[in-house]
Amino acid sequence: MAGFLERITERWKVYREPGFFKKLDHKWTMVIDLDKCNGCGACVLACYAENNLPVVGKDECAMSRAFSWLRIERYIDGEYPDVKVKFIPVMCQHCSKAPCETGCPVYATYHNQDGLNVQVYNRCVGTFTCATYCPYDVRRFNWRSYKFEQPLDHQLNPDVTVREMGVMEKCTFCIQRIRAAKDKAKDEGRTVQDGEVLPACVQSCPTGAMIFGDLLDPNSKAAKLAKSPRRYRLLEELNADPSVIYLKRVMKEGPSKHG
Amino acid sequence: MKRRDFLKILGVGGVGTGLGYFFGKASKPPAAELIPYLIPPVDVIPGVANWYPSLCTQCSAGCGIHVRVMEGRAKKIEGNPLHPINKGKLCARGQASLQVLYNPDRIKKPLKRRGDRGKGDFEEITWEEGLSLLSKNLTALSEKGETEKLYFVSSQTRGSLNSIINNFMASYGSPNYMQYELIQNKNLLFANHVSMGLNNIPHYDIANTKYLLSFGADFGTTWLSPVNYSFAYGQMRQGEDGIRGKFVQIEPRLSLTGANADEWVPAKPGTEGVLALAIAYAIVEDGYYKGSDAASWKALLSEYSPKDAAVVTEIAEGRIREIAKEFGQTRPSLAIGGENLARYENGMSGIVAVNILNHLAGNIGIRGGVIPNSNGSRTIDFKNNINALATAASASKVKTLLVYNTNPVFTTPKAMKTEESLRNIPFIASFSSFMDETTAMADLILPAHTSLEDWGDDFADPSVGHPVVTIMQPAVSPFFNTVGIGDIILSLAKGIGGKVKDKMQWNDFSDYLKDAWKANYSKDKDMLASALTFDEFWNQLLARGGWWPADQAKVKSVAVSPKGIEAHIAKASSRFEGDEKGFPLYLTTYAHSSYLDGRGANLPWLQEIPDPMTSVVWGNWIELNPKTASNMGIKEGDTVSVESPFGKINAHVYLYPGIRPDTVSMPIGQGHSTYGRYAKGRGSNPIDILPFKEDPNTGELALNVTRVKISRVISSEKMVKIEGSTKELGRNIVQTISPDEFNKMNKEVS
Amino acid sequence: MDRTITYKEASEDISGIITKTGWKYYAVLTLMAVSAVSFLFLPWAYQIYSGQGVTGLNAPVFWGLYLVNFIYWVGIAHAGTLISAMLYITQTPWRRAIARGAETMTFFALFLVSLFIFVHMGRPWNFYWTMPYPNQRQIWTNFTSPITFDVFAIGTYTTSSIVFLFFGMIPDLASLSHTATGWRKRLYTALSFGWRGTDRQWHLQAKACMFFGAFIMPLVVSVHSVVSWDFALSVVPGYAKTVFAPYFVTGALLSGFAGVLLMLSIMREAYPVMKKYVTAYHYDKVTIFVVVLSLIWSYLTLMEVVTGLYANTSQEIEHLKYKLAISPFSYLFALMIFSNSVLPLLYIFKKLRNSFFGRFIIPVFVLIGMWLERFLIVPNSLSRKFLPWMWHDYSPTWVEYSIPIGALFFFISMFMVFIKVFPIIAIFEVKEDIGIPMRKSH
Ligand SMILES: Nc1nc2c(c(=O)[nH]1)N[C@H]1C(S)=C(S)[C@@H](COP(=O)(O)OP(=O)(O)OC[C@H]3O[C@@H](n4cnc5c(=O)[nH]c(N)nc54)[C@H](O)[C@@H]3O)O[C@H]1N2
Ligand SMILES: Nc1nc2c(c(=O)[nH]1)N[C@H]1C(S)=C(S)[C@@H](COP(=O)(O)OP(=O)(O)OC[C@H]3O[C@@H](n4cnc5c(=O)[nH]c(N)nc54)[C@H](O)[C@@H]3O)O[C@H]1N2
Ligand code: SF4
Ligand code: SF4
Ligand code: SF4
Ligand code: SF4
Ligand code: SF4
Repeated sequence: MAGFLERITERWKVYREPGFFKKLDHKWTMVIDLDKCNGCGACVLACYAENNLPVVGKDECAMSRAFSWLRIERYIDGEYPDVKVKFIPVMCQHCSKAPCETGCPVYATYHNQDGLNVQVYNRCVGTFTCATYCPYDVRRFNWRSYKFEQPLDHQLNPDVTVREMGVMEKCTFCIQRIRAAKDKAKDEGRTVQDGEVLPACVQSCPTGAMIFGDLLDPNSKAAKLAKSPRRYRLLEELNADPSVIYLKRVMKEGPSKHG
Repeated sequence: MKRRDFLKILGVGGVGTGLGYFFGKASKPPAAELIPYLIPPVDVIPGVANWYPSLCTQCSAGCGIHVRVMEGRAKKIEGNPLHPINKGKLCARGQASLQVLYNPDRIKKPLKRRGDRGKGDFEEITWEEGLSLLSKNLTALSEKGETEKLYFVSSQTRGSLNSIINNFMASYGSPNYMQYELIQNKNLLFANHVSMGLNNIPHYDIANTKYLLSFGADFGTTWLSPVNYSFAYGQMRQGEDGIRGKFVQIEPRLSLTGANADEWVPAKPGTEGVLALAIAYAIVEDGYYKGSDAASWKALLSEYSPKDAAVVTEIAEGRIREIAKEFGQTRPSLAIGGENLARYENGMSGIVAVNILNHLAGNIGIRGGVIPNSNGSRTIDFKNNINALATAASASKVKTLLVYNTNPVFTTPKAMKTEESLRNIPFIASFSSFMDETTAMADLILPAHTSLEDWGDDFADPSVGHPVVTIMQPAVSPFFNTVGIGDIILSLAKGIGGKVKDKMQWNDFSDYLKDAWKANYSKDKDMLASALTFDEFWNQLLARGGWWPADQAKVKSVAVSPKGIEAHIAKASSRFEGDEKGFPLYLTTYAHSSYLDGRGANLPWLQEIPDPMTSVVWGNWIELNPKTASNMGIKEGDTVSVESPFGKINAHVYLYPGIRPDTVSMPIGQGHSTYGRYAKGRGSNPIDILPFKEDPNTGELALNVTRVKISRVISSEKMVKIEGSTKELGRNIVQTISPDEFNKMNKEVS
Repeated sequence: MDRTITYKEASEDISGIITKTGWKYYAVLTLMAVSAVSFLFLPWAYQIYSGQGVTGLNAPVFWGLYLVNFIYWVGIAHAGTLISAMLYITQTPWRRAIARGAETMTFFALFLVSLFIFVHMGRPWNFYWTMPYPNQRQIWTNFTSPITFDVFAIGTYTTSSIVFLFFGMIPDLASLSHTATGWRKRLYTALSFGWRGTDRQWHLQAKACMFFGAFIMPLVVSVHSVVSWDFALSVVPGYAKTVFAPYFVTGALLSGFAGVLLMLSIMREAYPVMKKYVTAYHYDKVTIFVVVLSLIWSYLTLMEVVTGLYANTSQEIEHLKYKLAISPFSYLFALMIFSNSVLPLLYIFKKLRNSFFGRFIIPVFVLIGMWLERFLIVPNSLSRKFLPWMWHDYSPTWVEYSIPIGALFFFISMFMVFIKVFPIIAIFEVKEDIGIPMRKSH
């Protein structure tokens, strides 16, 4: 009896011990400096190339079914000549309190020990709940089994699944690259170094606007930048606790002296 | 199926990579390709990626790349982190060049014309047949003593490929090798030559400047060296020193780069050169120029007082003087003259004006200013341009034309009648891997490798203050039955025989390349100083991706003197064709960030990723100021006909507040009539309706030269854009702080 | 009810509905079945084959017509059992003639509810992953997901509704088994589970029905509250409303009562004999419910709008603008108010209650109006989420229109088959009504 109780309390701890699930191995974070980002879209293409995103064509694009896991939103204020254009790259924010995760009935999207919001394609039954709940509209659905026209399929990244019809997907923070870095570090008997994980978008970004790193490593560049006074997070008021941190664009307020 | 058969198929499907294994392979039967897997090449480990350093050829910037190769297939392209031009970064076009390699619309075999010219009716032939057909043609020409009637037109080509073509043409006896592509920066080169005595493009040190005054340079997407400048832009904004550089953009339509500027100065189209001179005048007049020759500058610029210029440019005098003050006083400042400025009819003098600004502010030869590149001066034959070819062809002075990697039929105005003049040429051979508009005119197509399958090298121009040479090496074995362009030329030389063959005794182009590098190696002190044997040096070169000195070259100081420059100062603003009444709107065109001059339009990735400024995909559009549109009763998405005195095309309307109400703007790159399933029949090509105008000094084609009128037409085709709404509605999506606040902040980590 | 009707007459009248079938009935049934196949099953097969791409769904409008119809049928399913259970518990005598019909409607409505879940899913063949069952992969369901709540709520509701319907039917099945022949006799005998009409059996049957009646009543409230949480537990403007649980329950009942009204009216026309049992008196009672529910619904609708206005955030305002004014569907809001708030008020005129207008037109409008309510909430809210860049309209495709229409045909087909197998009016209860004066008599 005592043994049984012990076992129960042991198991209970696993679920209830404060911080058991919050004690993360890493907390991967993306810092995006909006003052550097010029909206060029190189990162968008990098994501297509790295993550086997299908090209869906004009008609599907017209239906808002373009597959980009990462998009550059462009907002325009004012009228000629006082025009202000602002760019912001938006991908999955890997919310620590992710609304999408609440929605999924089958745990196809959940939080892992690296602080990532992960998506298990095989488990998804396609209820769309996660995408509906996601305030950032970053989730993409496989409306069909998309074809990679031959021989373009030769470029498919073997480290990343090609998803089939009926499942949801979204930015993974390039989890395959995180895995590779962690495996390598493990083989070499050390921890992952700052800068060792470069998601495809970060790697490509010509202006160097994106910085990726582990928030739990206080010396990482990302952790340092995350303390910048320019820091803010998108739709912070929703309390989803995103892992993507933006640095404010430096821009004059009010009308500029144009003309 | 037996397990062994299964393995064989596996082997054929995943042909191995191995350097030195790339040539002559195409003709071998498939069984031969099994060997590498039965005896696996050392560098192929299934499931493990190799990264091959090479060169991006999607534009002339010359970025260094790393190609990720697994089991013989290229999987991804990233920037070479060691490369001084792009520092590991890569633009969308560069990354998409994978889809050049694996494009379903590649020409997979040599083709011979069967039907009428230009009708696209070809039959497949073997390489032996193709090469002998062409060598016979050239031999015949040479026997008739008409070697000068052979013309070779290629894209802007540098390095060993350029030299082997030169070599070949010289051995054959024809002076008519010309380079043409839409964007060649000849105006910039010429202007820098006459005002600074430079023979190449200097390094514009955007990274370290504190005040950047750009005259229509879209350096974030297409101008000169976009990745280098984008990186520099990031540095300028949030550099290590924590002082944020200010950036002012002068252009009639906000480009992507302009959209990031702190201030936008929408001067009237064609008057930017005048504005530059007015700023120069103000710098001298208001005493920011400290040189002893201030008086002579003032005299020289006397016609360009800010007061007068204000009327012409529609920019207030006060604002001109303010810019002059900021530009003249901020240290260091930098003025750059981009495509938009260079592509007026007197574009060259616009750039001269910009150089004057840099001289007056003392920006030449300093960190954060204009840093001359000491290396690799380049000789540009300004007269030998595409118009020379067209004229010769019309006059039946061209018997045989060889075309490589350039598409003049698409990139020259209809008014120039390029297509008609090409029809006068009895024999055209193209080495293109794609059925572009010019290749469709060919009689013989000998498809060359794409850059991921071939050897080559490139001398970056502009460089970054010191020489940067990039080696292009095959990352994968040829995917189709194609041959490298250098090897095609060597085969031709052999086929022609005689002195041509004697002068070109290389086994293949990789030997040629290596020989060229042996010469470089033995001449260059820096290279020799590394104390390596040539083979060690060469291997290191391949492993690194190219050669650049370990430390930055010394800066050469160049002064611009007012003498002699007079002749090149614009006397007035640039002219536009079409009278103001009938054609009320200025048309400006720009190379699109993805399609560039049209070459990117056949890559599905580039069609699918939204245009940064309009979010339009799979088509093109014309940008109109919302006020202009509402006056005309035009709504977004409407189709309009765009008519100049030289022609008419249709386009969809995109309403863009970032454009002058008297100006409309169209991207170049779409409107292909052939060029594969992804490019064909998407939108229209604005070059079609331009007059044929070139800068008389340089022969550079002018693009911003006509007015247009627009009117609504009915069309079933729809414009597809990705954006929902571009209004932020106070939702604080892109949050901002003012520069003052920023300056008050503690220095940030970076 | 007319006390002069004899037990025999009642038995014959009602079993006559089962047994006397003209060719017209078969014709209509065939037509319905064929339509169900061509509008529902073929397009659905096409959708399963090609993927959800055949719909007009997009990012961000991931929830469209299928989910609208899902909630809609949950709503319809509510009134049936509720009417029956509530009236059973309160021993309201007029329930007897209409209860069985209402329960049957619930049963088939729940059938459509599950159907729409399958139609909606990207990978319906994996539906069982949403249920907790021991499995080798040790994958459990996510109990924080409202969708999981749904699986339980609807599962429970379906089970108890079937049991309630079945328990109430046992005495009738037993009595039918005496007169029936062939497969019917075997079926009725088997399903009557040895009912012999002993006192103890009557007692237990009444107790069981009372238990399930009492069990189902709160379930009705909870089920549709749970359905409302599919939306209310998100942060989406237009979804995240605290008022949604009562709002959805009220709306469900409103549409459910309208559904019952319409069903009875149609059956009365098809089987004039039913007019003896379903009379003006019943219309009188049911329509009062409709009026009251309509008033509550109108109040909650107003609350929903006003709360949004009061919040006065850009999100709420843009969402309301889209819903009320500028979307391709905004005119539907006015139609919804007309159908759900204005028309039912006409029932306060006693004459109207039993008129053709009251029996057919108003219920039809309420049924449409309630459908529109769901439409205006589900896809419409998604068109205007947080980041304006991603705003996108929704235009359903033919597949999405066809499947719900086909589902309706399927519903009717199943109903028509049911009528021919089971008594649509509770014979024994009607007899009770005729014979024994009730405690709470009229
Ligand atoms: N090191 C290492 N060892 C392993 C494993 C591993 O991962 N690593 N995996 C283990 C596992 S999971 C397995 S299943 C075993 C497999 O081990 P084996 O069963 O030895 O598998 P095969 O190599 O396929 O050999 C089967 C033989 O059957 C022959 N054969 C094929 N078709 C027919 C037929 O129709 N009739 C007859 N009579 N013969 C036929 C084939 O030619 C072949 O010679 O290996 C185990 N051993
Ligand atoms: N080309 C080819 N394909 C084959 C066969 C073949 O002969 N040739 N054989 C077939 C046969 S017979 C079989 S059985 C299958 C085997 O196919 P798989 O089951 O895919 O076998 P493996 O690749 O050996 O192992 C799968 C993964 O399990 C991981 N793993 C190892 N130990 C553990 C552990 O303790 N826990 C967890 N969670 N993971 C672990 C490994 O790292 C590996 O990534 O392949 C089949 N497919
Ligand atoms: S951004 Fe959306 S998809 Fe990503 S974790 Fe947050 S809620 Fe989930
Ligand atoms: S679509 Fe897939 S991941 Fe999203 S909630 Fe449904 S089952 Fe979960
Ligand atoms: S982190 Fe990876 S998956 Fe996410 S947007 Fe960047 S490239 Fe795409
Ligand atoms: S690549 Fe970098 S600069 Fe370009 S859009 Fe993406 S984040 Fe911005
Ligand atoms: S700028 Fe872009 S296209 Fe040009 S060379 Fe560099 S990566 Fe290639």
